[in-house]
Amino acid sequence: MKKEEIKLKLNVVGKNIIRVDGLSKVTGRAVYPQDIYMDNMLYGKTLRSDKPHANIKVDISEGEKVEGVVKILTAKDVPGHNYHGVLFKDHEVLCETRVRRIGDPIAFIVAETEEAAEEAMDKINVEYEELDGVFDPIEAMKKGAPKVHEDGNIVYHYKIRKGNVEDAFKECDVIAETEYKTHMVEHAFLQPEAGIAYVDDDGMIIVVASTQYPHFDQLEVAEAMGIPTEKVRIINPAVGGAFGGREDITLQIHLAMAAKATGRPVKCTYSREESFVAHCKRHPMVMKCKTGADKNGKLLAMEAEIVGDTGAYASWAINVLRKAGVHITGPYEIPNVKVDSYAVYTNNPFAGAMRGFGATQVPIAHEQQMDILAEKLDMDPMTIRMKNMFKLGSETATGQILEESVPLDRCIQEVEKVMNFTQGKKGGERE
Amino acid sequence: MKKRGKGVGIIFYGTGYGNGFPDISKAEAELQDDGKVAIYVGATEVGQGAKTVMTQIAAEALGLKVEDIIFINEDTMVTPDSGTAAASRQSYNTGNAIKKAAEALKALIVDKAVDKMKLNTNIGLKVENGNVFVKTFPSRKISFKEIAEDYKENPLKVEEEFIAQTTEMDEETGQGAPYWPYTFSACGVEIEVDTETGIVEVIDGVLAQDVGKALNPKLVEGQMEGGFAMGMGYGIFENLNLKKGKMKNNSFTNYIIPTALDMPDIKNVIVEDPESTAPYGAKGIGEPVMIPVAPAILNAIHDAIGVRITETPVTPDKILKALK
Repeated sequence: MKKEEIKLKLNVVGKNIIRVDGLSKVTGRAVYPQDIYMDNMLYGKTLRSDKPHANIKVDISEGEKVEGVVKILTAKDVPGHNYHGVLFKDHEVLCETRVRRIGDPIAFIVAETEEAAEEAMDKINVEYEELDGVFDPIEAMKKGAPKVHEDGNIVYHYKIRKGNVEDAFKECDVIAETEYKTHMVEHAFLQPEAGIAYVDDDGMIIVVASTQYPHFDQLEVAEAMGIPTEKVRIINPAVGGAFGGREDITLQIHLAMAAKATGRPVKCTYSREESFVAHCKRHPMVMKCKTGADKNGKLLAMEAEIVGDTGAYASWAINVLRKAGVHITGPYEIPNVKVDSYAVYTNNPFAGAMRGFGATQVPIAHEQQMDILAEKLDMDPMTIRMKNMFKLGSETATGQILEESVPLDRCIQEVEKVMNFTQGKKGGERE
Repeated sequence: MKKRGKGVGIIFYGTGYGNGFPDISKAEAELQDDGKVAIYVGATEVGQGAKTVMTQIAAEALGLKVEDIIFINEDTMVTPDSGTAAASRQSYNTGNAIKKAAEALKALIVDKAVDKMKLNTNIGLKVENGNVFVKTFPSRKISFKEIAEDYKENPLKVEEEFIAQTTEMDEETGQGAPYWPYTFSACGVEIEVDTETGIVEVIDGVLAQDVGKALNPKLVEGQMEGGFAMGMGYGIFENLNLKKGKMKNNSFTNYIIPTALDMPDIKNVIVEDPESTAPYGAKGIGEPVMIPVAPAILNAIHDAIGVRITETPVTPDKILKALK
């Protein structure tokens, strides 16, 4: 489509149509999974590891004696594959002999009331034989570090090799060399995980739970249940925010197993504290960056090493560290680039998708690098950016040509209009 | 003492699954008995506004009002797979699939209208407000509802799919076209650092976001406000206090996220430059709106106190330590 065609009269697109789901949400009529109650419903609670790395033995016998407890599910009760995961199937539905992080699910207790389920949870005996853990991704890469999974801790290594950085750095008049560290954060979506599952008259397992990708949940539930995909139905009611935190399975399979095992609807609602421990986090990254420019402020070379901590499970680590590697140059033309980006297992909470997906961490580094270079060159922060920024026809560090829709110059100008960076610093002291 | 500083952050963001992975969205469009059109997609409304903008795309393509689109996306039994609500891909990917399906259904409706009105061609016809009519003789028309009457048992329905174009990168050199489209944004902030408490306050901000084409400007602004808050939280508020694999801050008592009171009155600027492969030119913006905020704040802190903080989160004790 040509731009002139897009400018053709549009009747609906481009208009401030009021959210179609707005009224039901502001009036409280929208149905979130926590709002759903069914006749004859049971409640589920998840027993989780409180050790970051340990071999476990689980004895549920005392828990089963609690009045009101209907069923306690452990690894041996998983009907199909006891694993799931968006890329690698490295999560266990319920951990069998080993836990790799605090919060790993060990048992799912199904009871007539939430109180009974909680009481049983306290009575289940988990014998932990603690193993050495590793909590720093740099340490985890070293030989002899405790192994989180059998195949070693380095999950992925992404490389960019463009031009020749060694030669280019010799040509640079200024170089910024800095190590940056970003931290792990939580999505903090407003609605903690909740769901309900039941089996219909035709034997179809129905899981009602907020998710970002119902069709993928359907596959993962079917694999763990050992049944065809068509026998699983995911209903995705109102979702109270996600930001990447609802991509991995949390309670969907547990609920499906519980509904199948008991023949009754089973509901589970996480508390805020359980929500924190149940879903993934943003990857913390260690980013070593060396960026060089000539005396006019034109970037000549960048070398970067990124180590991303994916915690105990891979989730989207490969895609996230790939995206980090592609984006660490920032939106700048740099003719010589060398990037090494690693994803590493540790015994930390597992990291996965979160808004920006690896591209949110790297500007903490590349944008400070630009300011450091500008300062060395006695240049204002806008000028150095405008000299190097992507524009129509630019080539990225991966060799991709930006052949349309690159209005970065206009974005920068809009910021400059308000902030006046080129007019010199206006900061100052105030008592 | 309070010290002020200003900082900027600019970013690019590649949307979609990327790296040659099949990034597929499917959509179905079905003519209802009453002349309305149902759109079936497996794309989740996570609060980003998917239901609204996708309804707009379908309405635009079919010449209908938003009220005449029935949007169904909650159930795997009745919807096709439209991929995940992530990677800022739903407006672009599923939006494209919906546009294709809506246009295909419209073409089918026009064909049926030609038969039913006994016209000699489908040339010179217009579709508007649920009617197909002869442009030069508007009283010669038929409504979607009248056409639907013939298909009560087996409604007119089409399925289309859209696959985003990327290539797998070379394993040794990383060369390739890993994402498309790219979205760009720039953020400027002014902050104030209290040198006695170490507290950083963001007092002003401007966020300029390339959107290709804004499907719904108010919803874009909503994303920008939320993105700014989340970026600010990332830079200076949120801290899990992770020790030996344990999150010490695991509730909103001690895991502090920004509230409305922490948000400065920011200026949002929507920058349009339509992308030809996108539905009506619209690119995904769900993620990029938050990305330039934290780096702009970090640069502003350096401008204010002359110290560069290289480790997030920028907690007050880190500022105080840096000032010593």
